[in-house]
Amino acid sequence: MPPVIDREKCTGCGTCAEICPVQVFRHHKDNDKIPEVKFRRECWHCNACVLDCPAGAVSLSVPLPCMLLHVDASTLKPREPRHV
Amino acid sequence: MYSIAQSIDTDVLVMGGGIAGLMAAIASADRGAKVIVAEKANTRRSGSGATGNDHFRCWIPEKHGPDYRVIMNEVLNFSQFGLCHDTVLTRRFLEKSFDIVKMWDAWGIPMRPTGDWEFTGHAFPGRIRSALKYDGAQQKPILTREARKRGAGILNHHAVIELLAEDGEIAGALTLDTSRDEPAFTLIRAKCVVVATGCTTRLYVNKATPGWMFNTAFCPGNAGGGIAQSFRAGAKLVNLELATRHAGPRYFERAGKSTWIGVYKYPDGRTLGPFVSKPTKELGDITSDIWNASFTEVVKNGSGPAYLDCSETSPEDLAYMRWGMKGEGLTALLDYMDREGIDPARHAVEFMQYEPFLIGKGLDVDINGQCSLPGLYAAGDVVGNFRADIGGAAVYGWISGDHAGTSAAGRTLRGSLERHPAVERTLALCADIMKRGERGYAWDEANMAVQQLMSDYAPAGPFEKRSESLLDAGLHYMRALRGKSRAGLGAVCSHTLLRALESLDLMDVGEALMVAARERRESRGPHLRADYTFTNPMLGELFLDVFLREGEIQTEWRKRNMV
Ligand SMILES: Cc1cc2nc3c(=O)[nH]c(=O)nc-3n(C[C@H](O)[C@H](O)[C@H](O)COP(=O)(O)OP(=O)(O)OC[C@H]3O[C@@H](n4cnc5c(N)ncnc54)[C@H](O)[C@@H]3O)c2cc1C
Ligand code: SF4
Ligand code: SF4
Repeated sequence: MPPVIDREKCTGCGTCAEICPVQVFRHHKDNDKIPEVKFRRECWHCNACVLDCPAGAVSLSVPLPCMLLHVDASTLKPREPRHV
Repeated sequence: MYSIAQSIDTDVLVMGGGIAGLMAAIASADRGAKVIVAEKANTRRSGSGATGNDHFRCWIPEKHGPDYRVIMNEVLNFSQFGLCHDTVLTRRFLEKSFDIVKMWDAWGIPMRPTGDWEFTGHAFPGRIRSALKYDGAQQKPILTREARKRGAGILNHHAVIELLAEDGEIAGALTLDTSRDEPAFTLIRAKCVVVATGCTTRLYVNKATPGWMFNTAFCPGNAGGGIAQSFRAGAKLVNLELATRHAGPRYFERAGKSTWIGVYKYPDGRTLGPFVSKPTKELGDITSDIWNASFTEVVKNGSGPAYLDCSETSPEDLAYMRWGMKGEGLTALLDYMDREGIDPARHAVEFMQYEPFLIGKGLDVDINGQCSLPGLYAAGDVVGNFRADIGGAAVYGWISGDHAGTSAAGRTLRGSLERHPAVERTLALCADIMKRGERGYAWDEANMAVQQLMSDYAPAGPFEKRSESLLDAGLHYMRALRGKSRAGLGAVCSHTLLRALESLDLMDVGEALMVAARERRESRGPHLRADYTFTNPMLGELFLDVFLREGEIQTEWRKRNMV
């Protein structure tokens, strides 16, 4: 699922929660120094939280339905006709 | 019932701190105006330009020659965004574009990362190239810094939820502060307002991942607020029925399109488009820009799917592509491909056409960016009669901000807005939604319901058709949905309250779009009418406005404004 915070690395600076363009995080500093990944299905995969985290504590996981479909390029060639 | 937590007065209010909004704030502040930017997220990383873009349309006389018309012809007739321009705006945009490019360059956005102004990609063989290759990875932090430097006040996490007009002129806006779970409201009185809320996403069922509605190519936080609220305040919208579709890698919508350097192919290795057979960074393959319906067609007719093949791209061009993707903000894609072992040198990636969205369809503006409602301006993707994406947002953001900053001096603030009917109505609506809490309909139910109606009753081509009776039915259902939603939506915090209000805004946008689509009795671009299959040349020089008068939606054909 979308962003994952490494609790060991996170310093609780709040940057990720502050800058996310769709407010995936909630940061309740009094309860937990580490932001909560609260609205995970709203992640746009823009990578801002990964890029701007000063501790390198955020990684993204791309949801299964969004997998990038691809094939080996060498298979793009004429096929032998199949006979019934 | 909620009350206003804070009231602010300003000369110019900018709604949305994306590319156009920040440029408008900068230009207004340069004119000496007091400026406030109300931004739903945080201007450092919000909107479609959040983590970068890499192609900026512009006319650079020293590269293109002294006649702007050469580039104008490319933008209008040889790009994906030529359909809906008042060409007087295109000219104004081009004439100002190099100045803005130089400004960005001076502020530290690398506009000539290889040393010289370089035009690569989005190009046809043998034709002049108009897309300046730049590195936009840090554009948002830099523009935010420049706006602040000039004294513009930025209210992050303050979404505008209602624009306020009085006596037929703009008077201000109501914002929802989502920085804490408990909703709070700020009232802003302004002499001028610049709407810069970007494109409209989340209006149609997501084609790539129907159950995953934030997997969009453009920013999913842009949910039609600027269009719906301006419409309710009395401004005219234009070209709404010509909603467009974008294309890109199958299933992962946030993966860009035109930074890829390869050739589109059928599974049997034949090239899809007629433009290139050897991949080069100078051209890319323009097929996906000007014929993105091809990705749907090849699936429908069984000859597909279509792939982008970069395996014949030179190692230098592959390195350039990777660098370009960073500048375009596609680092999530690069990380993902690295993790999954997807290597463009060996793997071909399938492409598809995404769901319809509104970009360059929306507010009707004049050459200075002014809307039909006095004091209201619009710029960027939210505008309906001009489109040039990042370049258009940057240049027209500046033009409209400059004009608003000047004209604010001649306008006065209205009296107190606390008792404004739209303020009272909106605060009461919010209170009701919060009161229902978890017992009410969740916002995503409402949003999905809009998407179903739009995709089924007002789809955009290819293949999918509209008609009078389908649109009549769609309008009937949309109004019923809005009634049920207003009476039944629930939210538990400021964030879900905002999403609920966005869903209601999307219903208004959808309704206006359907009314316009019903009025356009012809087929044009993605607007395919089963009952009017021809393209009517008589409508080629007209645009269709849609607006509210005394609570009724009206339409009106107007002449296109040509150079
Ligand atoms: C990955 C990617 C690559 C792209 N590459 C290119 C490219 O190379 N070249 C190109 O020309 N274009 C490109 N584009 C398109 C380009 O990013 C947009 O055209 C441009 O950002 C439009 O600017 P804008 O200011 O109109 O909207 P945006 O930059 O989207 O800004 C809209 C702002 O409004 C805010 N907002 C929305 N609603 C509200 C509200 N109710 N209240 C307050 N704030 C609100 C949003 O949070 C956002 O900050 C790309 C887009 C993406 C996603
Ligand atoms: S990738 Fe972007 S949208 Fe997703 S959580 Fe990070 S900042 Fe937010
Ligand atoms: S930006 Fe990084 S360090 Fe800061 S709160 Fe987020 S995860 Fe923790």
